[in-house]
Amino acid sequence: MYQVDRAYSYIFYVSLVLYLVSIFWGLFVTPEDFVQGNSYRIIYLHVPASFISQSLYIAMAIASAIFLIWKVKLSAYLVRSIAPIGAITTFIALISGSIWGIPTWGTWWVWDARIVSTLILFIMYLGLISLHDSFSNHEKADKFLSILVLVGSVNIPIIKMSVEWWSTLHQPASITISDKPAIDLVMLYPLFGSIVGFAGIVACLVILSSKLQILRRERNKSWIKNYV
Amino acid sequence: MNIIKFELLKLRNKSRGWLGPILVFILIMVAFPLTVEISNKDLDQSFFAVLWIAVLLVMMLATEDIFLEDFNDGSLEQFAISDISFPYIISVKIFIYWLLIGVPISIIGSLFCLGFTNSGNLAINIFPILLITSYIFINVFSFGNALSLTKGSVLGTLVTLPLLLPLLIVLGKAVISINLNLNYLGFVALLLGVLSIIIFLIPLIISYIIRAHLE
Repeated sequence: MYQVDRAYSYIFYVSLVLYLVSIFWGLFVTPEDFVQGNSYRIIYLHVPASFISQSLYIAMAIASAIFLIWKVKLSAYLVRSIAPIGAITTFIALISGSIWGIPTWGTWWVWDARIVSTLILFIMYLGLISLHDSFSNHEKADKFLSILVLVGSVNIPIIKMSVEWWSTLHQPASITISDKPAIDLVMLYPLFGSIVGFAGIVACLVILSSKLQILRRERNKSWIKNYV
Repeated sequence: MNIIKFELLKLRNKSRGWLGPILVFILIMVAFPLTVEISNKDLDQSFFAVLWIAVLLVMMLATEDIFLEDFNDGSLEQFAISDISFPYIISVKIFIYWLLIGVPISIIGSLFCLGFTNSGNLAINIFPILLITSYIFINVFSFGNALSLTKGSVLGTLVTLPLLLPLLIVLGKAVISINLNLNYLGFVALLLGVLSIIIFLIPLIISYIIRAHLE
């Protein structure tokens, strides 16, 4: 646990520096966009946040499956500790998208498939937290939370594919694994850096939050007393 | 066969359980035009929005005590250890609820559709969609209800409600295609596909949850 603490602080500072450098690069070094002008620069917040918000849900689903199949208690703690962080990143994605919408679409909000499905993801995160907190028996709560997370994971492909299945205002993904990126390399490098930096920061938050969760749940065990 | 008859009699005798949701549905459909202007030409446009939301909320209401009574009097525990497979009993239960609540609501809904839009074609086409949708809704809300079974609250159904929102998008698109005389069978096939997955998975998941509750 002490080694984890040390590694954790290294990861946090490296990611923070990486994110700040990418933001600085994206805001001041990269040129203006031909169509969107300066407003596109919000992608250095919007894209990492929405990318991470979906990835966190997938991480939760994997942890839930591990908990339900192998009964690993730690992964249940992980599910519970990811949920609030996922809600926050989804919220950041929604708000930054709204702010981006004003100069490019001329509106804060449209009832568009991608945006609505992201809002659903946000509501799902809140629902998961409230479901878990409504049970006083933590073991049952963990079980039900994991089931709901697994069932709710059907939403993730819907969010991902919404820009391709429905005709929406939201632009399709600029970076895909298979195709050449639709975004110029000058803008891509800081974007990539900001995604990695943001992911690192969020990972550290998840570690911190799950540490808190372990301390809270195992507070009566002797090894916790030795640690604290 | 016995279990089907048993569940059917049990729900039929509890008239609050099946008549209540149907009455709420009728009341919503009767009351909503009063809030808009009577001469409004767009009434048939907003009709479908109200129809889907009404079906959604009424199904949420209908499944409110689907497992609660059986759980309290201990018969759910007996089902769980009986020879008949537990997921089968749950799927029968859900089917009976759909038969007594979902089917009447589908018929009434398509009658209201005829009344609001004056289009027999639309009313006939909307009927199978209503049938499939109400079955999907009942299944998913039963799952939500099983989650918060001991709580006796609507929290579980509220938590599962967001899962159904993508379905509402599909329903909206289906109505638009019927209105424009386009081929809407693709949407029906999509709904049927969703149903065919749900109809097998949900009883399995619910039986797992209820067993966890009974531990």
